Amino acid sequence: MGFDKLVFYVFAAVLVFAALRVITCRNPVHAVFYLVLAFLNSAGLWLLLEAEFLAMTLVLVYVGAVMVLFLFVVMMLDINVAEMRAGMRRFAPVGVGIGILLVVEMALIVRSSAFSPEKFGNLVRSPADYSNTKALGSVLYTEHVYAFEIAAVILVLAIIAAIALTLRKRPKTRYQDPARQVSVRREDRVRLVDVPSEKRG
Amino acid sequence: MLALTDYLTLGAILFSIAVVGIFLNRRNLIILLMAIELMLLAVNMNFIAFSHFHGNLDGQVFVFFILTVAAAEAAIGLAILVVLFRNRRTINVNELDLMKG
Amino acid sequence: MSFQIPAFAPALPEIIVMTMACAILVIDLYIAEERRGLTYLLTQLTLVIAALATLGGMPVEPQVTFSGSFIRDTMGDLLKAFIYLMAAGVFLYSRDYLRARKLFTGEFHVTGLFGVLGMMVMVSAHSLLTVYLGLELLSLALYAMVAYDRDSLQATEAAMKYFVLGALASGLLLYGMSMLYGVTGTLDLALLAERLADSDRGDPVLVFGIAFIVAGLAFKLGAVPFHMYLPDVYHGAPTAVTVYIGTAPKIAAFALTMRVLAEGLAPLHADWQQMLVVLAVLSLALGNVVAIAQTNLKRMFAYSTISHVGFILLGILSGTADGYAGAMFYAITYALMALGGFGMILLLTREGFEADNLDDFRGLNERSPWFAFMMLLLIFSMAGVPPTVGFYAKLAVLQAVVQVDMVWLAIVAVLFSVVGAFYYLRIIKLMYFDEVEDRNPLTAAPDLRLALSVNGLAVLLLGLFPGGLMALCIGALT
Repeated sequence: MGFDKLVFYVFAAVLVFAALRVITCRNPVHAVFYLVLAFLNSAGLWLLLEAEFLAMTLVLVYVGAVMVLFLFVVMMLDINVAEMRAGMRRFAPVGVGIGILLVVEMALIVRSSAFSPEKFGNLVRSPADYSNTKALGSVLYTEHVYAFEIAAVILVLAIIAAIALTLRKRPKTRYQDPARQVSVRREDRVRLVDVPSEKRG
Repeated sequence: MLALTDYLTLGAILFSIAVVGIFLNRRNLIILLMAIELMLLAVNMNFIAFSHFHGNLDGQVFVFFILTVAAAEAAIGLAILVVLFRNRRTINVNELDLMKG
Repeated sequence: MSFQIPAFAPALPEIIVMTMACAILVIDLYIAEERRGLTYLLTQLTLVIAALATLGGMPVEPQVTFSGSFIRDTMGDLLKAFIYLMAAGVFLYSRDYLRARKLFTGEFHVTGLFGVLGMMVMVSAHSLLTVYLGLELLSLALYAMVAYDRDSLQATEAAMKYFVLGALASGLLLYGMSMLYGVTGTLDLALLAERLADSDRGDPVLVFGIAFIVAGLAFKLGAVPFHMYLPDVYHGAPTAVTVYIGTAPKIAAFALTMRVLAEGLAPLHADWQQMLVVLAVLSLALGNVVAIAQTNLKRMFAYSTISHVGFILLGILSGTADGYAGAMFYAITYALMALGGFGMILLLTREGFEADNLDDFRGLNERSPWFAFMMLLLIFSMAGVPPTVGFYAKLAVLQAVVQVDMVWLAIVAVLFSVVGAFYYLRIIKLMYFDEVEDRNPLTAAPDLRLALSVNGLAVLLLGLFPGGLMALCIGALT
C-alpha cells in the first residue's frame, strides 16, 4: 500500500465520520463544526488530486466565509436545542437502512467497468513546475468568460436578495453619520452672542 | 495506487449521507441546509476526480463555479431562514404546515 | 497559449438585459418613493430593447460562441421573444397588486430582470456549465421573489420549501452531470452528443447519470413525483410572484429540457424516453385528479400546471421534430393561458383583498360580462376545448405521440384531460350560474384591463389561426 493510499483512506475515513455527524448531531453548532471538519478533509483529498487552487478556495471561501455565516445564523436564531432532541430516534433505523442500500447501489454502479482502472489508469503526477492555479486562471478568463460573467451576476443577485430580505429599518434607532460629524463647521455649532456689558458703577 | 473508483465511491457515500440527511431530518432546517452543502461536496469530489483522470480542466472549472453558486445559495437560503424564524419563531421542518390541499 | 477573442454580438440581448438591470438597480436608489413608476417603465423598456435586439439579429445558421458555451439559434430566439412578452405581461399585471401591498420596489423589478436573464442563459446554453448557471440564476431569483413579502407567514414558508427542494434538485442534476462528464470528458453539449454516440449503449453508468439528470429536470419542471413543493409555492407566494413563476419559467424549463435531453443526450433517447413516459403519465393523472379537490384557485392552477407539464413531456418524449415543435407550441401557449388566468386573479384583487379563492369568482358575469367571457376563453383553452388554442396544443402533442406508435399514451392523456375538464367547468359554472356575493366594482387600471382583454382574445385568435405560430415552431426545430 502506497503512501498516497494511506493518506487517502485516513482523510476519507475522517470525512465520512464528519459527514455522518453533520446529519446526526443534535446541536446545530456542533453540526457546523463537523461540516468544517468535512470540508478540511475534502481539501486534503483534493490536494492529492493536484487541485491545489480549489483546495485552497474550499478552505478560504467555504470554511472561512460560508461556514462562518452558518455559525452566525445558528447563534443568532437562538434555537431551542432540547426541543430538537425529541422524536429523532423514530426514523433512525429506516434512515440507516435506506442509507446503506443507497451507498451499496451507487458504489456498485460507479465501480463498474466504465470507470475501471484499466480504462483510466492510475493517478499520474504532473511535473514539479506545473501550476494548477495558473492553468485554471488561463482558462477561466478566456474559454469560460461567459460562465464567469454569469457567476458575477449570481453573486450580485445574492447580495440584493439577502439585503432586501433581512434589512429592517427601525424607526427608533438613532444612527451616527460620521461624514456629517466630520464635515461640521464651526459656524454650525458655535454661535457668538454679543452680550452688552453692563456699565459699572 | 489510487484509482478513480476510490474517489467515486467516496463521492457516492457522501451523496447518500446527504440524501438520507435531507429526507430524515424533521427537526432542523439548518441541518437540512448543511446536508445540501454535503451533497454539493460529493458532486465536487466527483468532478475533481474525473477532471484529474481525464487530464482536462473543465471539471475543475465546473467545481469553481459550483463553489461560487453554493456560496450565493447559502446566503439566500440563510436569509430566507432568518425571515422565516422572525415570522414563526421556529425552524422545525414538521411545523411548516400552513398550507394543505 | 493562443486565444481568440470570442464573438460577443450573438449575446447582445443578454448583455443588454444585464447592463440595464444593473443600471436600474442604481437609478432606483435615487428615485423618490412616489416616483417608483419610473423603475417599472425602465424595466419594461429593457424588455422591449432586448426583444428588438433578439428579433433584429436572428441568425439563419446557429451561431456558437464563447468556446462552445453559448448558442444562438432560431428556437432560442423565438423562446426568448416569448419570455420577454410573458415577463412584460407579468410586470404589467402585478404593478397595482404590488403597489397596494407595499411591495412595489426596485428590488422586485431588478430581481425579476435577473430572472429573465437566467432564463435567457438557459435558453441559449450550449454546455452543461451554462445550463447549470442559468438555472441557478433563475432559481435564486425565484426563491428571493417568493420571500419578498417577508411579513407573510405563508410566503416565507413557501420560499423555504421552494429553496430546500430546489437546492436538492440542483444537487441531483449536478450529480448526473458529473457522471456524463466522467464518461465523455466534456461539458459541451454538441461534443457530448458526439461522444455518446460512439459509446456503448446501455452502459449502467450512463443510465444512472441520466436518471439523476431527469430527476433534477423533473423537479424544476414540477413533474410528479417531484412536484411536492409546487402547490405550496403557488399558493403561498404573493400572486404577483406566482404569475411570474407560472409563466416564463415554464418556457425556459422547456428549453432546458430540450437542450439537455434532445440535444446533449440525443443518442440515448431510448433510455430517457422510458423515464419521461413514467413522469408524464403520473403528472397527467395526479395533476388532473387532485385539482378537483381544490378550493383555492392558485392551488388549483398549480395542479393544472402539473398536468400541463405532463403534456409538454409527451411532446418531448416522442423524440421527433414534430413532437418537439408540438411541445414548444404547448409550452408557449400554456404560458399565455397561465398569464391570463393569474391575470384574472390580479384583476379581481384590491387593497387588502386577495381574490384567490374559487368563490371569489361567483357571479362574475353579473359584475363584468366582458371579463367573465375572457376568463371563459382562458379556462376553455386550459381544458382544451376548441376553438381555443389549448385544443390545438393538445392535438399537436397527441399527434406526435401517435406517430411514434404510443397510442395507449395518447389515450391515457385524453382520458385524464376529460377528468380535468370537470374542475375547469366548475369555474365557469360559478361565474355564470351562481349568485354574486361580492358586489364591489372592479377597480383595475385601464392598461391592465386592455392587456388582459388582448391576452384573452389572443387565446381565441391563436386557436382560430394556429398555423402561424405552429409554422414558426416547426421552422425553429428543423
